[in-house]
Amino acid sequence: MRLNRRDMLLGTAASATALSFSGLGPVLAQSGNTIVIGNQGAQSHFDPHAGQDYPTSVLMRNIYDGLTDVQDMPPRVVPRLASEWTISEDGLTYVFKLNPNATFHDGTPVTAEAVKYSFNRIQAMARGNNWMIDGIVGPDSISVIDETTLEFQLVRPFAAFLSVLPWISVVNPAIIEANEGGDMGQTFLLNNTAGSGPFTVARFEPENLIEFQRNASYWREGAGNTDRVIWLYVRENTNQRLMLQRGEIHMAVDLTSDDIKALEGSPGVNLVVEPGDRTFTFKMNTAYGPTADVNLRKAIAYAFNYDEMLRVSGYAHLMQGPLPQSFLGHDADLEVPRMDLEKAREYLAMTEWPEGGLSLDCVYVVGLEQERLWSLVLLDSLRALNIEVNIIAATWPDMVAMSTSPETFPAFFNVYLGVSYADPDVIAFAGYHSSRNGSWQNPVYSNPEVDALIEAARSEVDEAARVELYKQVQAKIVEDAPDIFGVIESAKVGLRDNVQGYSFTPIIVQAVDFFPLSVV
Amino acid sequence: MLRYALFRIALVFPLLIGLSGLVFLIGRVLPGDPVGLAAGPFASEEQRAAIAAEYGLDQSLPSQYWTYVTGLFEGDFGRSLMTRRPVAGDLAVYLPATLELVFFSLFLAALIGIPAGLIAGARRNQAPDMVIGVSTLTAMSMPPFFLGLMLQLAFAMALSWLPLSGRFPFILTPPPSVTGFLTIDSILAGRFDALRVALIHLTLPAITMALAPIATIARTMRASTIEVMQQDYVLNARAAGLSPRLILFKYVFRNAASATLTTIGLYVGWLLGSTVLVEKVFDWPGIGLYATNAILSQDFNPVIAVTLVIGVVFIISSLIVDLLYGVLNPKVTLK
Repeated sequence: MRLNRRDMLLGTAASATALSFSGLGPVLAQSGNTIVIGNQGAQSHFDPHAGQDYPTSVLMRNIYDGLTDVQDMPPRVVPRLASEWTISEDGLTYVFKLNPNATFHDGTPVTAEAVKYSFNRIQAMARGNNWMIDGIVGPDSISVIDETTLEFQLVRPFAAFLSVLPWISVVNPAIIEANEGGDMGQTFLLNNTAGSGPFTVARFEPENLIEFQRNASYWREGAGNTDRVIWLYVRENTNQRLMLQRGEIHMAVDLTSDDIKALEGSPGVNLVVEPGDRTFTFKMNTAYGPTADVNLRKAIAYAFNYDEMLRVSGYAHLMQGPLPQSFLGHDADLEVPRMDLEKAREYLAMTEWPEGGLSLDCVYVVGLEQERLWSLVLLDSLRALNIEVNIIAATWPDMVAMSTSPETFPAFFNVYLGVSYADPDVIAFAGYHSSRNGSWQNPVYSNPEVDALIEAARSEVDEAARVELYKQVQAKIVEDAPDIFGVIESAKVGLRDNVQGYSFTPIIVQAVDFFPLSVV
Repeated sequence: MLRYALFRIALVFPLLIGLSGLVFLIGRVLPGDPVGLAAGPFASEEQRAAIAAEYGLDQSLPSQYWTYVTGLFEGDFGRSLMTRRPVAGDLAVYLPATLELVFFSLFLAALIGIPAGLIAGARRNQAPDMVIGVSTLTAMSMPPFFLGLMLQLAFAMALSWLPLSGRFPFILTPPPSVTGFLTIDSILAGRFDALRVALIHLTLPAITMALAPIATIARTMRASTIEVMQQDYVLNARAAGLSPRLILFKYVFRNAASATLTTIGLYVGWLLGSTVLVEKVFDWPGIGLYATNAILSQDFNPVIAVTLVIGVVFIISSLIVDLLYGVLNPKVTLK
């Protein structure tokens, strides 16, 4: 699978010389069908079952295949390894028919056995995205009907099941078993792959680059003309922007709002600014300390200056309640707190501190400038209620540790919640179900009624009924005011104008799908 | 001199044990939940326990330390909690990149700083001294990352003379790795094209890093030169009719150089510990960023390993400086 570096050198010698000796502009634009993507997701392994960060998702989308795929905006589930499927009325039985043309990189067919093996592997490892199917797919849930047909008997109905399948990759059992090594092949997959996807790996330099090479015998239709994708780790945002301007990279997936402003109008650069894939809220301590009083939380939510937050956010839009606006079930008529000092004072009057005079801690991740700015907006907003905000920068491991108990959890906690699959369940369950208490996504908030509604919504097969349930979930959560609902920052991708075939999907935006990309 | 060198090298071991113990202890008593972070937000208690056991974090502190230290003697720095890769392998990649940058910067700094200091000292209070004095003051007060950005804007963006960032273009074949230093490996492989590319990529980050040491070296050299120039033997040499050039280079330089040598030796450690900003600006795949990321995620093993490595390099560089005193000045004897 290794690409001979000398071969590659021959093909690109001319442009390389230009690049290295003069550092001159758009060089890669001429180097044939190679696309270079600048990013800040350093990859350290090739095991699709071992991680859930966006670099691992890049593997899932490009080296491996899942049963389904997610595409477009708004996101929709489309077939991938499974060419068709049927779902029983009770939402418990899924029968998948695999595409008979699908083969692993070693040429052997992707069988129903291999799919079953892969699900068993991620469950046994209990890492990565296993949480998505935990309690849904049981140890005996999967039965192989024939070579290309398999049946899932779910433990309980899960409406988002098809949406999580792109993130449970299928691995080649023959390769993993031959290199089992006592850890289910995890050590082997630090430097090797075992996939069936549209790309293989030609070169890997940890924390520097991965060179992907198109799998010539891939079975899906609609491929772009790129032969090679270089996934280049660029440590500094500004460099990503400058490299895109100079044409040294074709795409940049980690641009900031400032970068986008600077790139607007740059010749040869196209910008994609779309609603992003993570929400930002201030979680409040609903279980311990002054903010355990719902009236204080409401006073705070009404005192908060949302317009100022939006102003300092760059490209973003305000959240309207807990669910992202682009998601199924979002209630467009939901009334959420907006800055209204009169109302804020009314609520404050119902607390033990009608005149304010208390000091609350607000913790953010050290180094995340955006979170610091938002914390300052909070500090400034709460002055009107005579509430002091004590802003504390902490490392992320510290913050994870704070989340484990209400006593250590601060009054305000800056948190991004990533949308890892295209279903409202991902936010509702992770962010507001009490089974997540003690984890940073929902450290303390607990309401049995909300729990019951979320569970009902994730089990409901009928879409209209689900929408109705999520409406109630949102209303109840807004009523409890566990969060100051903040913003959804826009996803920002920059492309050279010679890149074609890119289509935006708001799910793990940085994990670009290389398959349809072409360079002209 | 050999006995002295061996004695100094032997001193490294107790120092390392002390250093590793200290960093180990600091890492373990810090608040935070690195296991929780590595396990991910959806991990169950059993999964956390499994990861803790995998990394030996469920053992008692002394037993963890013992395992770590015995591993060190086999060249095993443990595995990173975040990337799951062996730390020794990571160091083998990142350390040479940083060392190459540090040594190249110091070489530049010495090459410019020593003659500048010598000239300024010899022409005290005259025009060259003034010019050098003002330039070094400016250089010392310039923050390296800012300078780096300015150099990038000028030489990479506006003039397109030098590459923007990186250590070696990914579309070229690097020379086979022997030392990990791209310049040395290129020479070993006879690849002068690669040497040129490596040097071109080194230029901007090295200048950025070298500026502060140039200024310090020039100032130290100037002060020592002035001091030596006032010695009786210089007056004597002058009275004997030796040419000013001979006096300066043969007598003054050798005597004035030892303080400067100490400065250079100290800078090895200082630069190693402060490469992170320059590495970030120039996308240099070095140890500074590796360590910073490890610290932020409380990934102990890489942090301890980097501390130890910087400690060792520091000790060795000060040993070399001490040995050079003897070479430079026969009056110095090492016991």
